[in-house]
Amino acid sequence: MTTAILDPKLAPPFREAVLPVLRNPMLRKNVAHATEVIQNKRARLVAEKRDWQQLREAASAIRAHVLENLGAYLEQFEARCTAAGGVVHWASTADEARQIILDLLREEHATEAIKIKTMTSAEIELNPYLEAAGVRVHETDLAEIILQLGKEEPSHIVVPALHINRSQVREIFSRTMGLKDLSDDPKELTGAARHYLREKFLNIPTAISGANFLIAETGSVAVVESEGNGRMCLTLPQAMISVVGIEKVLPRFQDLEVMLQVLARSATGERMNPYTSLWTGVTPGDGPQRFHVVLLDNERSSILARPKERQTLKCIRCAACMNHCPVYRQTGGHAYGSCYPGPIGAILTPQLMRMHYAESLPFASSLCGACYEVCPVKIDIPAVLLDLRADVVNIERKQAKRAFDLMYIGLRVANTLFARAWIFHATQRIGRIGLRLFTGKDGWIKRLPSIGGRWTENRDLRGLPNQTFHEWWEARAKENQ
Amino acid sequence: MNTPVLSRQRILNRVRSATATVAKHGGQLAEAYAALPRPYIRKGQMSAEGRLELLIERLREYDAEVVESTMDALPVTIEAQLAASGKHRFVVPSGLDPEWLVGGFDWKIDYNLTTAEIELAEGVVTAASCAIADSGTIVLHHSPGEGRRVITLLPDWHLCILRASQVVETLPEYFDRFRAVPALITWVSGPSATADIEMTRIKGVHGPRFLHVILVRD
Repeated sequence: MTTAILDPKLAPPFREAVLPVLRNPMLRKNVAHATEVIQNKRARLVAEKRDWQQLREAASAIRAHVLENLGAYLEQFEARCTAAGGVVHWASTADEARQIILDLLREEHATEAIKIKTMTSAEIELNPYLEAAGVRVHETDLAEIILQLGKEEPSHIVVPALHINRSQVREIFSRTMGLKDLSDDPKELTGAARHYLREKFLNIPTAISGANFLIAETGSVAVVESEGNGRMCLTLPQAMISVVGIEKVLPRFQDLEVMLQVLARSATGERMNPYTSLWTGVTPGDGPQRFHVVLLDNERSSILARPKERQTLKCIRCAACMNHCPVYRQTGGHAYGSCYPGPIGAILTPQLMRMHYAESLPFASSLCGACYEVCPVKIDIPAVLLDLRADVVNIERKQAKRAFDLMYIGLRVANTLFARAWIFHATQRIGRIGLRLFTGKDGWIKRLPSIGGRWTENRDLRGLPNQTFHEWWEARAKENQ
Repeated sequence: MNTPVLSRQRILNRVRSATATVAKHGGQLAEAYAALPRPYIRKGQMSAEGRLELLIERLREYDAEVVESTMDALPVTIEAQLAASGKHRFVVPSGLDPEWLVGGFDWKIDYNLTTAEIELAEGVVTAASCAIADSGTIVLHHSPGEGRRVITLLPDWHLCILRASQVVETLPEYFDRFRAVPALITWVSGPSATADIEMTRIKGVHGPRFLHVILVRD
């Protein structure tokens, strides 16, 4: 159905990656429908919460406090988790994390593993690595099964298959599960997934998960989910490996009283998600008897070192920013060329890549600020976007070829034009006449030549009005004399 | 070559140097934590009756079945619920009140039953530790009366017996009530569900598809 590339090292720039999406009406309809439904559900539940802004303030303060004191809280988590029977591993890079996980699976003699949906594993591209090493990985979240069986890529961090509709799911399930008479009723499709996974849950003794929160005070791990596939994976197997970003720590158990109130409302528009599980190391007789946590840095410590960008790590992965983003709502997730799409992806991905890749993403935003307004931990995404744009320009400015780049020449010309009012006004008058050639009857410009085409290849432009505000103001002053 | 020990040290060094100008230590860290703003609502304003009504409303919104009972009538209420379910084989945790194991049904007590044995049960009956009215959440701490996590996961039908005194209004009230953190917790808000296909909510994916609650006035 799509050929999305979600590896930032290989993905094309955003403005090229959006083109196939913008020409795919079914995908756009699926994305628009899903984001609309979540937006409305969230709005209703946030409105009923009288202390919503106070909860956001507390959530933001807790997350900022954790990041400023991350070293102390990580060591505390490690000590408590270890005392409770867990084993803590540290991975500086994605490669190290993959190697550690594979070694642990080999110790378990595992040829298969069941998996709870985890963004961190997508970030380190764990599944293809394990498959290549001979370990079959079974995703268990409904959306992840749809993607895995359909050989599709995720386009959202909470509902990753939102770009796929029921008849497409029917096609995937009926083809891969051999169910000829399957209808496209979501209830029947869900039933097919339940049946397909049941035997895997009961027989595969090794599981891989991520985590929503780590609790430093107790060494506990918390996973937030809806379907019960998470509970299956963290209850039935004999061994569990959780791969978690170092930023996911909370100081105390009690901090969940804030996080659980904001997370489900922001993510799925529910007062509380159906299941939240918390476990502490190993409990004799209940659940996996061998438990490993792999703490992943993978450039998070570099983000931490920059005071303005540090807030990127406050993120609790609720996806409210993408559901409300006017750009994401048009493009869906694949155009972002990363497992983290939307506004949070636009700031997180380039930083995880040390600005060497994905440098078009900070520009994939209108800076309208909707993401900041809905963010439950108050990440000022527009401010970070602007800062990263400055970084990109500063890097490009040093490159010699930029002296001949049409856009940079254009900007230098604009610099001269905008510096003097009379030149600026003259340019406006000439521009108005020139642009009339390209303006349609509806007042919109669909296509421009040369560098102007970079704008219009993936969005329309309003034609210039017949009168500028200045001209109107002067004319009005004359009339009133 | 990156040995595990070196990675640990490298990450902690990088984190420490990244936060060198802002990180607090020892007593100052505890003070900074204590000073974090918590301006949100801690305690609810509802009467005891209003709190129970809200919980019942929320649970029903999740398609859970709720019936009320008194302490004396509890065995009779349990019997009626089990009979109405049309099921016979039930698993129960080892610490459940023996009076609740009413006659006429096949009871399997979980003295370390195997997964296969639990899978044969049609339903499960347990107690709970707490319920939060605001979000319709039942909290299991997996004490002897609530059982191992697996018994409230595999059977398709869960009957949960909750006492009125265990119901709080807000989530922070729950955290105030349990200062000692249990090793295992499951917060359950309605039967398992998904909205992964076109955002249509479907009840019952992998966990129990049916959640029944008996609210006991104590």
